[in-house]
Amino acid sequence: MVLLSVPLWLRSRLTDRFWRVQEVLKYARHFRGRKNRCYKLAVRSVRRAFVKSTKARREKKRFLRALWITRIEAASLEHGLKYPAFISNLVKSQVELNRKMIADLAIYEPKTFKSLAALAQRRRQEGFLAALGDGKEPAGIFSRIVHHY
Amino acid sequence: RYVRQLQRLQLLFSPTAADSRGARQFVEEAAVDFARQHPDVVLYVSPRTGLAPVLVAEYLNGTVREELIASRTSEEIKQLATKLAGQSGLDIIRIRKPFHTDNPSIQGQWHPLTNKPSALTVQGPRLQPK
Repeated sequence: MVLLSVPLWLRSRLTDRFWRVQEVLKYARHFRGRKNRCYKLAVRSVRRAFVKSTKARREKKRFLRALWITRIEAASLEHGLKYPAFISNLVKSQVELNRKMIADLAIYEPKTFKSLAALAQRRRQEGFLAALGDGKEPAGIFSRIVHHY
Repeated sequence: RYVRQLQRLQLLFSPTAADSRGARQFVEEAAVDFARQHPDVVLYVSPRTGLAPVLVAEYLNGTVREELIASRTSEEIKQLATKLAGQSGLDIIRIRKPFHTDNPSIQGQWHPLTNKPSALTVQGPRLQPK
């Protein structure tokens, strides 16, 4: 016969408590204070830590981009160019490098970065000549790039 | 050419316990087919009493992975074995970066003196470039 209700005198005990507690505490081991030992405090801290790490993934992209921009600015100032001039002239010369790659080049490939800075400087001068020189001289070399988009 | 990273699979189970039933069925039915399909993996089948049935996978880089197969059907054990056969022995943790180089810099890494004029090029009122 099928018993549909458990009799009230049947008791079952929790035998897993240690491992259930350890599942939470293992993420709290590097915390400071009693939060790394006491379960009640650790539950709150671990949950907040997870929530913060989820939300921080969006901030990380912004943070890294700002870091790259800072590095490119420092590197281009070494070559006598400011960051807005550098980036805008690279874009006008159709060099589609993103900031991450330019920052890595500036660190690990300084001669390549110097040539990129020289390219941007040359394009800048040609832009000035085209705007101020009234078109009697032939337009510059790097400003005659055909844009394929 | 492809080299299978799984070296050997040890199937340790008990001939009488109830939770080794799936392991025993696997050994009867599918173990030989598995061994034929994966000729470069050595399959050891050894009965042992008293402990939980376990599938031990050893890889070429030395990692040993033990998987409990208690109360699993023969089909599940076969799928588990094929999964282990396709893995390499690297630890299953989050990969921080999908790329790695031993030589990140070819032109020489930047240091504060890379773009500064050296003693060979500096021009001062008394110093001449050599």
